[in-house]
Amino acid sequence: MAWWKTFRDRIRALRDSEAVHREIDEEMRFHLDMRADENVRRGMSPEDARREAERRFGRLTRIKEMGYEVRGGGFVETLWQDLRYGVRMLLKHPGFTFIAVLTLALGIGVNTALFSVVNAVLLRPLPYAEPERLVQLYEANAQQGFDRFAFSLANFVDHRDQQSGFEQMAAYHRWNANLTGAGEPERVQVAIVSANFLPLLRVQPLLGRGFLTEEETPGKDNVAVLSYGLWQRRFGADPGVLNKSVNLSGYVCTVVGVLPADFQFPDPFGRNPLSEAAPKVDLLAPIAYDPKNLGDRGSHFLQVLARLQPGVELAQAQTELRAIAGRLEQQYPDRNKGWTVNVFALQDEVVRTVRPALLLLLAAVAFVLLIACANVSNLLLARAAARQKEMAIRLALGAPRARLLRLLLTESLLLALAGGAAGLALAYWAMRAFISFSPANVPRTDEIRLDGMALLFTFSITLLTSVAFGLLPTLRASKAGVHTTLKKGGRQAGNRGGRPRTRGLLVVAEVALSLLLLIGAGLMIRTFISFQRVDPGFRTDNLLTMKLALPFKKYPQPHQQVAFYRQVIERVRALPGVQEVGAVSDLPLVEGGFFAFIIEGRASASAQDDPSAVWRAITPDYFRTMGMRLRRGREFTEQDQPGAVEVIVINETMAASFWPGEDPIGKRIQIYDSQPMPWREIVGVVNDTKEAGLGAPTRPEIYVPFSQRPRTAMTLIAHTAAGPEQLAGAMRAAVQTVDPEQPVFRISTMQQFFSAEVAVPRATMFLLGALAVAALILAAVGIYGVMAHAVTQQTHEIGIRTALGATQRDVLRLVVGQGMTLSLIGVVIGLAGAFALTRLMTSLLYGVSATDPATFTVIALLLTGVALFACYIPARRATKVDPLVALRYE
Amino acid sequence: MAKQKPDLPQGTLDLLVLKALSLGPMHGYGIGQRIQQLAEDMLQIEEGTLYPAVYRIEQKGWIESEWGVSDNNRRARFYKLTRQGRKQLAVEESQWEHLTTAVAKVLRAT
Repeated sequence: MAWWKTFRDRIRALRDSEAVHREIDEEMRFHLDMRADENVRRGMSPEDARREAERRFGRLTRIKEMGYEVRGGGFVETLWQDLRYGVRMLLKHPGFTFIAVLTLALGIGVNTALFSVVNAVLLRPLPYAEPERLVQLYEANAQQGFDRFAFSLANFVDHRDQQSGFEQMAAYHRWNANLTGAGEPERVQVAIVSANFLPLLRVQPLLGRGFLTEEETPGKDNVAVLSYGLWQRRFGADPGVLNKSVNLSGYVCTVVGVLPADFQFPDPFGRNPLSEAAPKVDLLAPIAYDPKNLGDRGSHFLQVLARLQPGVELAQAQTELRAIAGRLEQQYPDRNKGWTVNVFALQDEVVRTVRPALLLLLAAVAFVLLIACANVSNLLLARAAARQKEMAIRLALGAPRARLLRLLLTESLLLALAGGAAGLALAYWAMRAFISFSPANVPRTDEIRLDGMALLFTFSITLLTSVAFGLLPTLRASKAGVHTTLKKGGRQAGNRGGRPRTRGLLVVAEVALSLLLLIGAGLMIRTFISFQRVDPGFRTDNLLTMKLALPFKKYPQPHQQVAFYRQVIERVRALPGVQEVGAVSDLPLVEGGFFAFIIEGRASASAQDDPSAVWRAITPDYFRTMGMRLRRGREFTEQDQPGAVEVIVINETMAASFWPGEDPIGKRIQIYDSQPMPWREIVGVVNDTKEAGLGAPTRPEIYVPFSQRPRTAMTLIAHTAAGPEQLAGAMRAAVQTVDPEQPVFRISTMQQFFSAEVAVPRATMFLLGALAVAALILAAVGIYGVMAHAVTQQTHEIGIRTALGATQRDVLRLVVGQGMTLSLIGVVIGLAGAFALTRLMTSLLYGVSATDPATFTVIALLLTGVALFACYIPARRATKVDPLVALRYE
Repeated sequence: MAKQKPDLPQGTLDLLVLKALSLGPMHGYGIGQRIQQLAEDMLQIEEGTLYPAVYRIEQKGWIESEWGVSDNNRRARFYKLTRQGRKQLAVEESQWEHLTTAVAKVLRAT
């Protein structure tokens, strides 16, 4: 246990170094005494004996020191000394320390926070067993521009039964039901799943069981599995809930199981965060179908999940499915022409829409960290230069070079650790800020926490940083020869030597990096402004929307549905503050569906080639409520009733696409929205809207009168005089006076949907903007620091120039010229980098090109201006140099 | 200086210190004396080299020290061989023999 003894000695020496010194002294004294005694025995006088003994001993002090080095402090004590010295040095220069620690904390903190977020949202595997084998399958049709389309039941069954690359393939679709009985009627999210859904995810119910294969048969499918949340909320976590009944929109189901608390529905989330596809599921129920009659192969409504066989690659499985799809296309050309299958890793699907923004932010944060490191490096270099004389003297006095290196490295480490600690605190705060800032459709935000991996990451950054900026000045400081430095008599060596070049490079890098960030932020600002300027084609203020879905069992007849909504609309219209009220089957920005149609006299070769258009059923007041504008013809009226002439209104895009240069009024089409398909006459044209999203292209659109094509699920829209959200209670009450059992849901103002549309670009803009501003400040501080230091170093030179007749203007030009040369090189490099890199963020941009000349120019000018300012302050000081003082300074 | 005494080759002192201590624990002064005796006064160990060597060997863990009482009843720091030191001694002894044999062979050539 020699090391243990050594260690114990070291610690003892730390606590009481005097004792160790005393012991060594004693040992030496003993030796001297023994030698003297020996000499006396050999006949010397005591004095001579003593002197001879001491002479033999030689450099007693050096020996004692060596003994202490071995037995006493050694490395531990040196480290302790260095640490204490380091802390003292840092405290003696509070300005330097503050800026350095703050800079580091900023870099490290923001980095850790964003890394925690990215780790939780993008990197951490989904919470299922062997998640890397889970994939999401879609039908795809390149001709029609679909790369992720739902499966039809028949196609799903055929693919499932013919494939071999997957262990299991499960299908589901979402259903919104009214849960009634025992308490308030409640709108619940139901996932209708195939029986192998839970086994595929390897999820065991907390209570009871999952679904059995025979429960996929019609008539046996009246069973349900509750989510943990619903079980807690609605059933008070009653363990006796099994075998109880629940009423879902009139369907009575028996509860057979309860899902575990941490279960998450593996939904690739919906387009709009507030839409119904939000991944919160209250109940599971089984899919039921008749294997002999799988319905219309062209009716796509199923999401398909699958688990790859062990050892089977995703691409392999996709090839196999595409071969199957090819055979089905041959077999059913009428329905399957052009359809194939796409396979995506589930993990990637879940984060698809936020991945580019998060990766962009991560890159931005890495840039900020780099800038921060460059800054601290600069600070340390400046200080190393100022301490060159100190180091030279230490070397001259015999300090080993390694000892000096260690001292300086310790100081850097101290700084980095302090920066890391402050950074960690900042990270926690920044992470909270990010979560509260992040739009609702960022998935898995509840999983974000400063986890061990992020902690490790920070720590690595801290250490890397300390080495990066600790080594550079340390090497330089120790390399400077003793003679050169001392000969220069305290004036810092090498004004024109290597050090200014290193620091100049750092300035160039900082400027280039911050320019990149600023341009990225500038492009996001332009995007945001473009979004703000988009005219959606309908009013967004003072609209309150509220969705209802009538249980089909209770309102099976179309006239019942029409009557219900007519009553509700009348009551809502009577509310004070309501100006107009209408209803629509699919709320713009949130939902929407297609139907194919046939134009009279232009029949296609096959049903597959028929054009399609967005389809909405509306009440007569819908256009007026939404503030839309009629371009030709008329709106719907109360006279457009079943039995009367079937009519439609189309949008401008549809008119221009199918009747260019013609008047579409009076033209007739057949729509696949009903059987049989009557001819329907176009009676009006309305303006285009951004119904599919502000960034989405405008599509042909058909409006049909609700009274001629009733639906159970409609969204009520009220145009109010002011403060639409205040009407929510009154509007809900109006609904429930018509039917007290009818729940309303998704109550929201149009403005909220509109904001949600721009949530990702807005959050990206704010975060990237904040990072860019941080980068700009850091870069400005960096330029200022370098130039201020350069001026101090050149005081002598400037003094001589002034003495020789240089004007203030000349001095100003000299200093500013030096700084601006560096800055402009940085700007040029940054512009080149931006040209190369901004195209990577194209998918995040809207209404502005990735290499927008205006943004590039304005940002470059802005940065140049800031750099000029940062150079000007030290330059001003240089002009104040008094030649007499400067020369005496020598 | 009465007698001409040869400088010890690098590292040899370590071997001698280990050997001296293999005969029993001893204080620094005694180590020097013992080596001198064993060498029949053909070697003189300078204190300036002895103590650094002893400390170095102690740091390597081949010997350890503690306070004890000397023959003349005085407090002294005694060194003794550790198990590791005993192994090291065997290694160094055989290396030394190998080296001297080889050097002797070369020198014997005429």
